[in-house]
Amino acid sequence: MDSVYVLLLLSTIRLSLPLFFAAIGAYFSEKSGVAQIALESYLLVGAFTAASATYFSHSVIVGYLSAALVTALFAQVFCILILKFKGNSIVIGTGMNLLAMGLIPIVSKTLFNSTGSTPSLELPEFNSYLPYLTLIAVVMVSYWLSEKTIWGLQMKFAGEKKLALQSVGISATVRQWQSVTFSALVTGLGGAVLSTALSSSYSPLMSAGRGFIALAALIFSGWNFGRALFVCLFFGFCEALQIQLQSNQLISMYIAAEFIQMIPYAATLLALLLMKSKFSAPAELR
Amino acid sequence: MNAKLKNLAKNLAPWFGLVIGVFISCSLAWFFNESPWYVFKVLATSFFNSKFDLGLTLFYTTCLIFSGLAFAIPMKAGLFHIGSEGQILLSALVAAYLGSKFVPVNNSFSVFFYFLFILAATLASGALAALILAFFKLFKQAHEVVVAIMLNFIFAALTTWMTVNRLQNPNSQNPETNLIAPSLQFMQNDFLKTYFDNSAVSSFLIVAVCSCVILFFLEKKTLLGYQVRAYGHNPAAATRMGISSSQILILCMGLAGMFSAFVGLTEVFGNSFQYKIGFSPQYGFLGIAVALLARQNFVGIIASAFLMACLHKGASDLDLETNFLTRDFSRVLQAIIIFSVAASYYLFSRTQTSNKKLVKKKEI
Repeated sequence: MDSVYVLLLLSTIRLSLPLFFAAIGAYFSEKSGVAQIALESYLLVGAFTAASATYFSHSVIVGYLSAALVTALFAQVFCILILKFKGNSIVIGTGMNLLAMGLIPIVSKTLFNSTGSTPSLELPEFNSYLPYLTLIAVVMVSYWLSEKTIWGLQMKFAGEKKLALQSVGISATVRQWQSVTFSALVTGLGGAVLSTALSSSYSPLMSAGRGFIALAALIFSGWNFGRALFVCLFFGFCEALQIQLQSNQLISMYIAAEFIQMIPYAATLLALLLMKSKFSAPAELR
Repeated sequence: MNAKLKNLAKNLAPWFGLVIGVFISCSLAWFFNESPWYVFKVLATSFFNSKFDLGLTLFYTTCLIFSGLAFAIPMKAGLFHIGSEGQILLSALVAAYLGSKFVPVNNSFSVFFYFLFILAATLASGALAALILAFFKLFKQAHEVVVAIMLNFIFAALTTWMTVNRLQNPNSQNPETNLIAPSLQFMQNDFLKTYFDNSAVSSFLIVAVCSCVILFFLEKKTLLGYQVRAYGHNPAAATRMGISSSQILILCMGLAGMFSAFVGLTEVFGNSFQYKIGFSPQYGFLGIAVALLARQNFVGIIASAFLMACLHKGASDLDLETNFLTRDFSRVLQAIIIFSVAASYYLFSRTQTSNKKLVKKKEI
């Protein structure tokens, strides 16, 4: 009986991994005052790039790096439309999600001649702890960036009071641009974890709303870096619970799989329902 | 005269964006070893290949008008409503369930009565589903997009479960419900359907066009429409003026849910007469592009829905006509159109403001 709980704990941590990355991505973008709905597309692009780059280069590290780079490049479309053409970030974010969902099957058809999953990968031994190392590195770098550097302070000012930043001669737009690019880079790594660590190939729409769940986690935590990670752990737990319950024959006899699959989404709604509105969003978030 | 011209340019901005969007999408095909010109030809011509094809395009138009309205109405009040996909699935299932459960006696009066009842119940289910969003927005200040996406997942899982485990058609291998009662399938010999060689189109097209016109007058000519617009432009000022924000939100979301439900009705009562899993090629999201293209103008939605329907039909045909482009190209097309339309707003409004500045300088 013990082993079930240990298994649950381990899979909680495993399944929280992409959420951690996506929540850090959401943090950087939202703190700089750009509402980020497009996390889902970054996860998908990252996952697909990592899977195909690993397939062609036979190296997971190349997969991770290319996922981060390609996602950051992909996010430039978002940046240009939001910051240069002053588009509504929600409209453009929805468009980005559609673009990723539409473009990936076509690219996959061109590369692998199938719109479904990519061929499954042969992964090396160290792949099992690579995501944890990446996560630790990313958490450390982003904590240092946002809390210990002037850049981080300026980034937060871009989200709280643009005028103050402009009055000292720094363009808020540039900070937002850098911040969103960093956000996409980190989220792309989360996508890489999704396709190379949680499974061994890219399958269509494998992010399954994780980008939005991570965003909800950030909102629920009151736009706080540390607390957001804990909330992600909770959502990771819900996903682990869902998988454990589905594999448990006794329970799946009584509860249909569709209801168990609902758990993470219902938990997100519940979290939003229980949220106290004492936290306030970054003032210039739009 | 000049001001009029500028206003015209502003209104035409989205169409300019559309042209650029289609151009970019076709050029994208070049990366996938397809000729952009050929892709454009398929996109532009596939909707009038035959009467049947035109009927199918008009069916898409019907669905897109409704889903475009479902997006545009909350947008008037400043809400970004992307939950209509879930509401469409839920309401279609409700319509199919009630249609197969309640079998009217064979006279026209009872058919009419039952149809009205099912219509009301389906619309109510859509509206209730949408009101969950309004509730979260009102009492929890939760972001409507996050809530909507979660609800979409939940409704999709719920309808799948209901279809497969409770309402599965025993005579079919596919996951779908029973057909609705034969007497309720009166749209089989609809005059539009007969004219278009039994295509998917039905009289709901007329309902769609009429509701666009009615909403246009409601918005421009009544106090209620004015209140909604005022709230959308400046919620704080509108609340100060005594416009109740809860009233506006509930009204807009309720209406939006109703129009989402109409998409489900169009499918169940006008086309397939049953609920099929995966019947909707994400009408809810297509509706966003439709509404943005029309700048949330209710009459403009009719034209933009027809255009998007043609493009959607063309994109589905690309699946057969080309080697590498799949029906997912429709989504790429939507995304790029959304982008270019959003960008063209800026381009056109910028020229306007810079002109205004010039005028001011001259005055000084």
